[in-house]
Amino acid sequence: MSNKYLEVTNLKKSFGGIKAVDVESLNLNRNELTSIIGPNGAGKTTFFDLISGFQDSDEGKVYLNNKNISKSQPYAIARLGMIRTFQLTKVFDRMTVLENMMFSASTVNNDSFLKSLAKLPSQKTTEKKIRDKSFEIMKELNIDHMANSYAREMSGGQKKLLELGRSIINNPSVLLLDEPLAGVNPKLAEEILQIILNLAGKGISILMVEHNIEAVMKISERVIVLAEGKVIADSTPENIRTDQKVIEAYLGSENE
Amino acid sequence: MKFSIKGSLTIFLTIFSIFLVFLLNEDGEIPILFNLLTFAGIYGLAAIGLNVHFGLTGLLNFGHAAFMGFGAYVTVLLIPHAAGREGVVITTGLPFFLALLIGVISAALFGLLLGLPAIRLRGDYLAIVTIAAAEIFRLLVRDLESVTGGVYGIINFSSSLQQYRLGFIDNFASSNDLNPSQVFVAFLSWISIVLVLLLLRRLTNSPWGRALRAVREDEDAVRALGKNAVWLKLQSFMLGAGIAGLSGVLLAFNYGTIQVSTFVPILTFYVWAIMILGGVGSLTGPIFGSIIFWVIIGETNGIAQLIFENANGQQIAGVRFVLVGLLIMILMIFRPSGLMGKKEELLLDVK
Repeated sequence: MSNKYLEVTNLKKSFGGIKAVDVESLNLNRNELTSIIGPNGAGKTTFFDLISGFQDSDEGKVYLNNKNISKSQPYAIARLGMIRTFQLTKVFDRMTVLENMMFSASTVNNDSFLKSLAKLPSQKTTEKKIRDKSFEIMKELNIDHMANSYAREMSGGQKKLLELGRSIINNPSVLLLDEPLAGVNPKLAEEILQIILNLAGKGISILMVEHNIEAVMKISERVIVLAEGKVIADSTPENIRTDQKVIEAYLGSENE
Repeated sequence: MKFSIKGSLTIFLTIFSIFLVFLLNEDGEIPILFNLLTFAGIYGLAAIGLNVHFGLTGLLNFGHAAFMGFGAYVTVLLIPHAAGREGVVITTGLPFFLALLIGVISAALFGLLLGLPAIRLRGDYLAIVTIAAAEIFRLLVRDLESVTGGVYGIINFSSSLQQYRLGFIDNFASSNDLNPSQVFVAFLSWISIVLVLLLLRRLTNSPWGRALRAVREDEDAVRALGKNAVWLKLQSFMLGAGIAGLSGVLLAFNYGTIQVSTFVPILTFYVWAIMILGGVGSLTGPIFGSIIFWVIIGETNGIAQLIFENANGQQIAGVRFVLVGLLIMILMIFRPSGLMGKKEELLLDVK
């Protein structure tokens, strides 16, 4: 098996005259914590939307574990084991934290109308299993005390944790994290970084978009810099820090 | 059963409304009350169906009248009836309960048919498409006169159902000076409500119900977690449409005739008003909402006479809508979640 989990070739997307994404070729390697950075409007989130199926690309191909997913629906891509989170946290506000977790853990088969109508014993067994699993993950993330509260009662940071927990409960092989640290206090950010490192340690391939450069440099093994939709640099954090193009496009503007 | 403040308040208001019927009518209270309770049962059932769409799944359906009409027309056309200007009598047909089953399933399939192109639309856009589809349905029914009887409607179909009328209903009707056919329809409506609520309680607490609520909360997150949100929404659309179809059949049998003018947008808005009154997302709410709503609609005469001396028809119609509007406004201010809705799950802020 090749070491690449995601291959992107010639991926393009424009909105009117603006080229939001124009990535010629990009391969992501298993077990290499990779981050995408870039100034605002660089196309990071659009790139995420394209590879996770939330937007259709104008042209180009995306392969997940050698399977062409360029035209796949988001749910189909998620079922292949690549789960994404969102820049603006999307939790199910008017459901309890536990329900949020259990919905994610539940399979399509378990959710079926007929099974629910018949109240099959097998469904009850599955429900108990995913309930235990949900509590396990919630404990790990330290949100188990909120299990029976509505998700909308959580703080912004706790919602980030819930979204993360929901994403990992089915043991995905790839996690796409869209700004996991946005709007989170420094202490919690530290915790989330540790969680991300732990997940990477467990063998989950992680690709994240993040604005917090210090955090990115600290935990990433590889950093990809996007500007105006194009990859302008792709290297180790050390090299990125000194890359002239990056400093001009991004880090330079940071200090202005 | 937990007895909450909101439950007590709702029951108090419902009993107060029924008491109003006795207060405002000097004689014939029982037939008036029974008439109201029949409509309350039928509309309540329709509101329960709408609650599957909106309360459970967050789908803004403004074409409920079409689902009700579809179920009603299919059922009535399958049993012996007389349709159109000439009133051509068709004496052959299916037994009532088989026709009813087909009617309800057809309404659900109509939901699927409408849903397939429309369900990907979000929020207000779905509302626009459903209201348009309902109008298309109504105009088609009006113009396909050779089948549906057009504006002349369909008559002479009640006996298919009434032949099953139970003896105790006749006894009850005659001892209370009531129309036995209507008592039977009322009886069937309230039985249907109980059965549908039992079914829905089972479903909403199940993993399937949980998935629908997740769709209601955030469709993108549902898709990102590997679930097909479109299919879940279609299922919800079909279930709610089926329930609406059942209530449409009961409505037709309550009138004894079926008219295209029954399934107009105002019917949809009445059902919406009942659902909002009762509590969006609450299982039992629409029942109480429906009773209170119908007392207001039915007793506006009396209330208008308290305000105007010698009220005329126009004034009464005005008072009726002022009252319903006022009630909904007061409710939105003081109990935006409706009588039985949960404050924490307040749903009237659709994305």
